[in-house]
Amino acid sequence: EIHTNEKEVTEKEVTLHLLPGEQLLCEASTVLKYVQEDSCQHGVYGRLVCTDFKIAFLGDDESALDNDETQFKNKVVGENDITLHCVDQIYGVFDEKKKTLFGQLKKYPEKLIIHCKDLRVFQFCLRYTKEEEVKRIVSGIIHHTQAPKLLKRLFLFSYATAAQNNTVTDPKNHTIMFDTLKDWCWELERTKGNMKYKAVSVNEGYKVCERLPAYFVVPTPLPEENVQRFQGHGIPIWCWSCHNGSALLKMSALPKEQDDGILQIQKSFLDGVYKTIHRPPYEIVKTEDLSSNFLSLQEIQTAYSKFKQLFLIDNSTEFWDTDIKWFSLLESSSWLDIIRRCLKKAIEITECMEAQNMNVLLLEENASDLCCLISSLVQLMMDPHCRTRIGFQSLIQKEWVMGGHCFLDRCNHLRQNDKEEVPVFLLFLDCVWQLVHQHPPAFEFTETYLTVLSDSLYIPIFSTFFFNSPHQKDTNMHQRQLSLPLTQSKSSPKRGFFREETDHLIKNLLGKRISKLINSSDELQDNFREFYDSWHSKPTDYHGLLLPHIEGPEIKVWAQRYLRWIPEAQILGGSRVATMSKLLEMIEEVQSLQEKIDERHHSQQAPQAEAPCLLRNSARLSSLFPFALLQRHSSKPVLPTSGWKALGDEDDLAKREDEFVDLGDV
Amino acid sequence: MWWGGRGQSFNIAPQKEEPEMGSVQESRMPEPRSHQPSSCLASRCLPGEQILAWAPGVRKGLEPELSGTLICTNFRVTFQPCGWQQNEVRWLGGLSRVQLLRPGSLLKFIPEEIMIHGRDFRLLRVGFEAGGLEPQAFQVTMAIVQARAQSNPAQQYSGITLSKAGQASGSRKPPVPLMETAEDWETERKKQAARGWRVSTVNERFDVATSLPRYFWVPNRILDSEVRRAFGHFHQGRGPRLSWHHPGGSDLLRCGGFYTASDPNKEDIRAVESMLQAGHSDVVLVDTMDELPSLADVQLAHLRLRALCLPDSSVAEDKWLSALEGTRWLDYIRACLRKASDISVLVTSRVRSVILQERGDRDLNGLLSSLVQLLSAPEARTLFGFQSLVQREWVAAGHPFLTRLGGTGASEEAPVFLLFLDCVWQLLQQFPADFEFSEFFLLALHDSVRVPDTLTFLRNTPWERGKQSGQLNSYTQVYTPGYSQPPAGNSFNLQLSVWDWDLRYSNAQILQFQNPGYDPEHCPDSWLPRPQPSFMIPGPPSSVWLFSRGALTPLNQLCPWRDSPSLLAVSSRWLPRPAISSESLADQEWGLPSHWGACPLPPGLLLPGYLGPQIRFWRRCYLRGRPEVQMGLSAPTISGLQDELSHLQELLRKWTPRISPEVHSKKRDPHTILNPTEIVGILKGRAEGDLG
Repeated sequence: EIHTNEKEVTEKEVTLHLLPGEQLLCEASTVLKYVQEDSCQHGVYGRLVCTDFKIAFLGDDESALDNDETQFKNKVVGENDITLHCVDQIYGVFDEKKKTLFGQLKKYPEKLIIHCKDLRVFQFCLRYTKEEEVKRIVSGIIHHTQAPKLLKRLFLFSYATAAQNNTVTDPKNHTIMFDTLKDWCWELERTKGNMKYKAVSVNEGYKVCERLPAYFVVPTPLPEENVQRFQGHGIPIWCWSCHNGSALLKMSALPKEQDDGILQIQKSFLDGVYKTIHRPPYEIVKTEDLSSNFLSLQEIQTAYSKFKQLFLIDNSTEFWDTDIKWFSLLESSSWLDIIRRCLKKAIEITECMEAQNMNVLLLEENASDLCCLISSLVQLMMDPHCRTRIGFQSLIQKEWVMGGHCFLDRCNHLRQNDKEEVPVFLLFLDCVWQLVHQHPPAFEFTETYLTVLSDSLYIPIFSTFFFNSPHQKDTNMHQRQLSLPLTQSKSSPKRGFFREETDHLIKNLLGKRISKLINSSDELQDNFREFYDSWHSKPTDYHGLLLPHIEGPEIKVWAQRYLRWIPEAQILGGSRVATMSKLLEMIEEVQSLQEKIDERHHSQQAPQAEAPCLLRNSARLSSLFPFALLQRHSSKPVLPTSGWKALGDEDDLAKREDEFVDLGDV
Repeated sequence: MWWGGRGQSFNIAPQKEEPEMGSVQESRMPEPRSHQPSSCLASRCLPGEQILAWAPGVRKGLEPELSGTLICTNFRVTFQPCGWQQNEVRWLGGLSRVQLLRPGSLLKFIPEEIMIHGRDFRLLRVGFEAGGLEPQAFQVTMAIVQARAQSNPAQQYSGITLSKAGQASGSRKPPVPLMETAEDWETERKKQAARGWRVSTVNERFDVATSLPRYFWVPNRILDSEVRRAFGHFHQGRGPRLSWHHPGGSDLLRCGGFYTASDPNKEDIRAVESMLQAGHSDVVLVDTMDELPSLADVQLAHLRLRALCLPDSSVAEDKWLSALEGTRWLDYIRACLRKASDISVLVTSRVRSVILQERGDRDLNGLLSSLVQLLSAPEARTLFGFQSLVQREWVAAGHPFLTRLGGTGASEEAPVFLLFLDCVWQLLQQFPADFEFSEFFLLALHDSVRVPDTLTFLRNTPWERGKQSGQLNSYTQVYTPGYSQPPAGNSFNLQLSVWDWDLRYSNAQILQFQNPGYDPEHCPDSWLPRPQPSFMIPGPPSSVWLFSRGALTPLNQLCPWRDSPSLLAVSSRWLPRPAISSESLADQEWGLPSHWGACPLPPGLLLPGYLGPQIRFWRRCYLRGRPEVQMGLSAPTISGLQDELSHLQELLRKWTPRISPEVHSKKRDPHTILNPTEIVGILKGRAEGDLG
């Protein structure tokens, strides 16, 4: 039987779609991909290939897609495609035992299990594959996904060279990239921050510092030579201005020094800088040190790696086993608690700015991890512009990409240092999801947008999330022919960014005037409570300040992202998709009626056309829509019944009944 | 159903209420200070209601704090804000709700604040005004405590029934059948097209079982004498009855446990067996108690849940999830859904008859059978269908509401019905387009179980209920087997049920019971009736299965009694092939879809998710007592849109009377899908347009 299947595969050779610049590296045929559903396992035969962009499985039944499903297919990554950057862990099964695969293998597994960063789990059976091919494909996959890579080997560059960049951006729907002075001036104008802050071009061509963007905004009274003094460290950099004039600033810490003399110099420098932003009673600044008394990157990493294990499921039984303890497992991962703490911190800062009219200065070692997270959250809560799709993309561009978040290291795209891999950006998206989930009308985008955005972290076609800094991106993307020596990312201790000496410095910096604020944390808590409660007791203005609920029952699991590949979690014809399609229908109707009314008013004849409705033709979508579309096998009743077969099918039943009749006659 | 304040009522959007409240509050401020509120309060009383005590106070916990009067009557505790215009009766339920008194239940000093915890998760917090009025605070507190001690939940408040009886009879909608007459049962039987079944009148005088309804469905060819004979061998006389007939041909039956002490003769056993099999060759016996929580489990979980949801519950935010898990409430819901889902697959997709067997047949059988019908029958998901489902499977079937909800003070308290409502809520969450009723309806029903205005949830058995509706205050009469006086026919018309919503809610509130997202097109009730060769043919013995722990095992015989030779002797010959052959296993492993797996999903069947992450916590119900959670409980966006839609249509109709509605509803804009922000924009634009 296997033999015939093999034949079929060769006959129905499915073509592999390659992107421009993509190269096939190795392949193996007669691989069996397990399809997870109910308690039993099925399989599909096909080819497993590995290119320099992805691992792909080409099954036999791929042509059987109907239109409905292809309509929502991802254009770049297919159902059975795993981009190399998306691979999280690879396991091999040897004699029923599961082992992590890495490096050179002595023995090749009979089953390959791939855990993806977007939480898909693939299982390939290699038992029927030729030994040669097994060796080639397994070692190929392991090498191309696990071995440390050089930046210039990223598929991004092959793609960029091969594909001519001909994307025409619509000037109206344009995400602000913040790579020109004009963009920053525009942002200053929009937030009315141009009275007190100025955009500077002192770092043009990255003369001062490679960490900072070419253009950024600093307080107007700050002399530009101050920026050069410590290569951009110790400089308050503007993030955003509130309507009442208070601003959100961020600052990276000064380098740690032992020498008392240098420390003295640093102190006087900071005092000087501080005076430019803290001028009571007009300008009061509150410092928020995100390196101490708040989350550590280590905590985030541990929590997420525990959390994701809840969703990386090899087989159903495993899932059922953990199911009983679901809530305590979830709690023990403390991922939701971390989300809560982030949201809470953002609310505290919002309170300072909104209610107390204070400037807030965020402090972090490099101002590129939690600074990005907190400042983006504050802006989302306070600035309705950030809740539009364009505004949100601009925010990410401003705070994360230009803010120098080390995407390359944090996503571990080069596999150079696992310890640096911290899902800070994902944590941010999860925090945003909580907001979107709690206040859907306040956002132009939906949770699906966020899920897709989180996936694009691992698709090396977009340059956005593949560099550590704008400098690195510019040098590599524009002057690739120069092939500059790569800046090796140095590993830095994640705890204790500030030594005692610097702690002392910070305290000095804070000064006596606001030390009151730091010490009396009770008072701070009261302010926070009052602000939080009073906001939530009023009706929500979706165009104004927006605060999340952060009580225990309110922080939830981003089900769409984390559960979308688990067939057991599928609800046919149900879930939010049902509401969403109804909502879309009604929105369309409201809009068409609205237009009718406008027409009456202006007595104009606007051309009208029949719209093909997006969701109309697929009446019953599953809750996994639009991700796991091909789970249609699961559309049969799920009944984990071992004796189930005993009932026999309809034919059997009919036969048996015939027999009854015969017997009666006898 | 609210404490007189705005935020806690589920059906008034807080936003709309606020400005109105503010103005009223200012203008009427002096009123309570006039020291003569009795007269004006009395006018708001219900017929037969007496004010026991009152005191002016300030309602706390919500912004803004309301000042008003706390009143304790012989039926309820109510807080009336100053100048609050009462248009309709607001029920606050029985006095059984005062659970906690602060400070201390032995009142030695005058309280500054009283907190009343409702059993339905609500909280009334009233601070008393200081100075001069304190004795009144003392009086009202004592009155509440005493009233709580004396109250008898079984006592029905009749005033409203009498006063509203005339009005209610003229309602436009078809009333929910109370399943108290043979006609109701016959109509319902025809609706389900259960041709092999008839209405039995054997229990017309409640002499087979007092907990059974007067009428029920039995197989056509079974004589009433056989029914009587068979039922005697079941626990409390609750023999097998039809619950629901699947258009595909299978039946869902429910019955009590076998009365093992009895010693049936062959005739009796034959009667029992033929009633259980009801003419089907394949029947699956389900042990309802298996894998489901016991009554004590349900009660404990509910108590824990209530403790967790108290506003002053001390659970830390980061420990909330494990605390919630610790209540096991969600776990029980999961078990119920899982089992119901399995059974509905058996009944609909596999077309097998299922017998639900629970020892008492009055608790989880009702829960399972209702859930199965909700999952399988689209009709049961309409407002009308759901109400008649509850009436049939819970009220008429004799669920001991009074005992289970703690009314009798007996130890058998277990809110099984509330567990059921939570299960239904889960389904509503998972399939928002498949139910005609809304979450608000479920909340209203949830709260109704403690309102003493109708008999629906105030009695344990149909017999008690029937007696009550005939002669008031005869509750204490001892049941005598010779009871032979059926209630007079005209008394039924007078009896009101919980389904007469207009007794308690305004029309605007009742409108909110409708789910705007309901899309009946989704669930066509197009079951293809299958040819049923064996149906109702008295044939040879058949195969009997036991469904337990998610697996089917063949049973040798249906009844536990030794001497049932008919089945035992023949069934060994009729035992099917070994359940699992090694050959078929191999097939399964290598992925060719196994033959039973290809069975199509019947249209209209809902398969609920019951994984840990999919079972949710019913915030709007359980967290109502927490002020910080109360906000944001406004109506879902979709209903806002619905309002907008009807408003626009109305507007358009006014302007263009000649355009038919089909024309403009068909036109759609080609390239845009509005996002909610824009909708808000439209709303604003509309408001401005209206002004201009």
